[in-house]
Amino acid sequence: MKTPVISRGVAATALALGLTLSFFGAPAVAQTIKIGAPLALTGGLADEGKKQAIAYDMWLKRVNDAGGITVGATKRKVELVKYDYQTNEQRAQQLAEKLIVEDKVDLMLAPFGSGHTKVVAGVAERYGVPVMATSASSESIFNQGYKNLFGVLAPNTGGINALLTTVSKSMPAVKRVAILGREDVFPKSMATTMSELAVKAGYQVVSSEFYSVGTLDLSTPISKIKSLKPDWIYITGYSKDLILARKQMADLGVTAPVVTMITGPVYKEFIDALGPQAENVTSMTWWHHSAQFKGNDPWGSTKAFYDQFVAQEKSDPDYVHAASAAALVALQKGIEKAKSTDKKAVREALASLDIVTFYGQIKFSDNGMNGSKELPIIQVQNGVPVPLYPDSVKKGNLRPFK
Amino acid sequence: MIYTQVLANGLMLGAIYACIAVGFSLVWGVLSVINLMHGAFIVLGGYLAFFSWLHLGLNPFLMIIPVALVLFALGYGIQRYAINEVVSKPVLITLTVTFGLEMILYNAMNLAFSATPRRIVLDLGVVDFAGAMLPLDRIAAMVLALALTGLLYLTLRTSKVGRAIVAVRMDRDAATLMGIEYKKIYAITFGLGAFMAGACGAIVAVVFPISTSLSGLLLGKAFVICVIGGLGTVPGALVGGLALGIIESFAGHWLGSQNAILIGFLLMLVLLVVRPTGIIGKKGYE
Amino acid sequence: MKNQRIAYLLFAIWVIALASTPWIANNYIVKIATFLAMYAAIALSWNFIGGFAGYPSFATGAFIGLGAYSGALLQNTGWFAPLAWGAAMVIVVVFAALVGKVILKMKGHYFAIGSIALVEVLSHGASSWSGLTGGGEGLNVAIMAGGPDFIGKVFLFTMIAIMLMAFIATVIVDKSRLGFGLRCIQQNEDAADMLGVNVMHYKLLAFILSGVFCGGIGAAYASWVAYISPGDSFSILVTLKAAVMVLLGGAGTVFGPLVGSAVFVIFEELIWSKFLDYHQGILGLVVVLLIFFLPNGLLKIKWSR
Repeated sequence: MKTPVISRGVAATALALGLTLSFFGAPAVAQTIKIGAPLALTGGLADEGKKQAIAYDMWLKRVNDAGGITVGATKRKVELVKYDYQTNEQRAQQLAEKLIVEDKVDLMLAPFGSGHTKVVAGVAERYGVPVMATSASSESIFNQGYKNLFGVLAPNTGGINALLTTVSKSMPAVKRVAILGREDVFPKSMATTMSELAVKAGYQVVSSEFYSVGTLDLSTPISKIKSLKPDWIYITGYSKDLILARKQMADLGVTAPVVTMITGPVYKEFIDALGPQAENVTSMTWWHHSAQFKGNDPWGSTKAFYDQFVAQEKSDPDYVHAASAAALVALQKGIEKAKSTDKKAVREALASLDIVTFYGQIKFSDNGMNGSKELPIIQVQNGVPVPLYPDSVKKGNLRPFK
Repeated sequence: MIYTQVLANGLMLGAIYACIAVGFSLVWGVLSVINLMHGAFIVLGGYLAFFSWLHLGLNPFLMIIPVALVLFALGYGIQRYAINEVVSKPVLITLTVTFGLEMILYNAMNLAFSATPRRIVLDLGVVDFAGAMLPLDRIAAMVLALALTGLLYLTLRTSKVGRAIVAVRMDRDAATLMGIEYKKIYAITFGLGAFMAGACGAIVAVVFPISTSLSGLLLGKAFVICVIGGLGTVPGALVGGLALGIIESFAGHWLGSQNAILIGFLLMLVLLVVRPTGIIGKKGYE
Repeated sequence: MKNQRIAYLLFAIWVIALASTPWIANNYIVKIATFLAMYAAIALSWNFIGGFAGYPSFATGAFIGLGAYSGALLQNTGWFAPLAWGAAMVIVVVFAALVGKVILKMKGHYFAIGSIALVEVLSHGASSWSGLTGGGEGLNVAIMAGGPDFIGKVFLFTMIAIMLMAFIATVIVDKSRLGFGLRCIQQNEDAADMLGVNVMHYKLLAFILSGVFCGGIGAAYASWVAYISPGDSFSILVTLKAAVMVLLGGAGTVFGPLVGSAVFVIFEELIWSKFLDYHQGILGLVVVLLIFFLPNGLLKIKWSR
């Protein structure tokens, strides 16, 4: 018959144990500042999560080696509490609560995924814990009225406008744009924003299509684009989608004077995976390592950040690395300005922050996003992303795509 | 004529789809095991081909057989020592076992290879045929995929081992009475499934960037193809793969790319209701 | 019978323990307790179709997702949250009834794939129908006002309530003709048919039962996180986990899903936070070992002599 007694006992004991441990828990080292970092170490965003982790560790070491963050009269070291949220929304939500309630973090970083950022922000908002996003650039992520969510990436519109400016100046004959976007928060937003702003800038959008997540073949939409003979082909998606798209464009013999992919070309893996086919593809980014920013942060200048990264990783940093480190810099500056780690005070300080760092300007708008500024436009030339715009970082001119 | 292109796209895609599904279909049909590791096997094959190309400069097309053999050994081992224990149990049990094994494999690959998308850069050029542009690497992939599928079919039809596999599939107990050790046949079949997956992976690495997150997508495709074509038969996987490739291609063209995958699944549902054995499927016959 | 009484008593203690977490532990433990109740309800739901009837269904993901979107859309037009959740459950019942009639004609493997297809169709459908659902960008859900303690309690009790409903339904089914009929169907469907069991009708009921509570969970979860998207809402992984939990505890029993889900969640919690790099592999290993050594679940081990 049914003999559930012992098994129930096991479960009950486990719960009791858990409860007991939660009471006594690990005593916090009184002076350490704790920042929570949910990372995608496994799952669909694992590659991006790894980039964040590298940048976070760079900042952590640099700050702690210098004695820590200045809080009023003292300096306090920082501890990053990391967990793998497995690119899973439920885990992200659970983790957020764990970091706040059990690990008692003072501040938090957002996970890489857009939807996951929203969910984590939802939890943090109730506790009044400031959350800094490193990779959220779509306005829809910041549209729930959360007061504690901030992000170091400027909204997509800034980059699109910069792109439109660059192309219209260098190649005024280009008039007809074909847009293909992935049906996913960030890529879709990049596609629809382009659609709206291109029309405003006087371009004709000849087609605007979306492909669903999990598409293994883009030859159909690309064939369609081919038949329309546009001057400008604009495609959004994650690296693997864009690599596929570029390859299939070559397969089908599709070209146009301007080819833009968001955000593939700024990443090393895109260029590695395509070799010569990556040449002349344009993109926008939120930061380029040839910028000349100087600021009062652990690195002091873009060059210093770049040098350390190259020495350590043997490759160029992309905007994800920079933005991740910048997110921590922003939190650091928030604490320094508030002269305390009190969450409310730090939130106020962040809301009124206006500084320049190795990453560029950090000044948050009402919705928490970093103010729109001139975002770099790049083009892959000789296997390397070369900035074309703005003038402060410009190293080359727009070449027609071949 | 754009339809020639759409059709060509569909066929090239379809051949790869067929290759993805044939190993999965075989294992499912013969062992009644839904092998959730199949996608991961393909990805593993892709990684092995990629790294041999990257570090040793070996052409992936040459690597197909070696990689496939490695996967065969892996598959055989897993079946013999793990899955054989539960092979007679209800479908859910075997599903759960392969689910657990898949997690282990996925974790191992993530640690070993990291999740960065990798692609073998092998640009062989394009050929213009009847108004359609046909990339040579896809053509090569298609030819190889068809060749492998054909080879498998021949093996099942003519070789002693092949006939034994079919016999076990038709009636395990009768086969045992005929002197066939069914457990060994199961292991060989599973190994064969892994073999096809590994070969497919080496082929896929040329046309699509490989990353661990691809395994789930590939598995999903395999499911749909098996239903459309019919379980357990090589012609079934072939027909199913080609059909799905063509359907997705035309559906994407007429109804918009964002609906292409949805159409595939809807079709699958409809077929399940109307004709669950698929286009070819007549269980038990090669 | 005595064992039964002990089991009920232990369950009562368990529920009280879960329900009292807001007062005796921190909010994270409350969250764990909420997830325990949530997964218990999902496992109990799956048990109807997968345990009693023996039909390997993956439709759980579809029901949860449908419940989430239904509840979210209703709430966004102003419905009071708990009413929206209730309405979502009704919608899922109708859906399960309509779809069930068709899908339950298939057996074994085909039924399994059919149910997987269901999840995928709904997921991609939600993604395509962006006018209604926001498509790939996801959908914001009206944010429930209240501090973390209040919200924690609201959703803890909601999940516990749904779990209790599922549990009561399980007990009733277990003791009723429906339960007996389902077990007959699992053993031998044709024989059951010949014995006069209204096979289609019973299967349909089991299928509906496997969905209704999941609908409520989906809707409540949507309100909890205030944002949903197709990929995360329609998850086949959740169903696989539910199946593993039920198998772990003992399929087709009343307490199996409860034991299985509790052990699984707690175990995952303990491993996951400790082993950053290997947790997935370890979980996989645990699942495999489980199947080998406990093929009938914890409850069916002969503990006593």
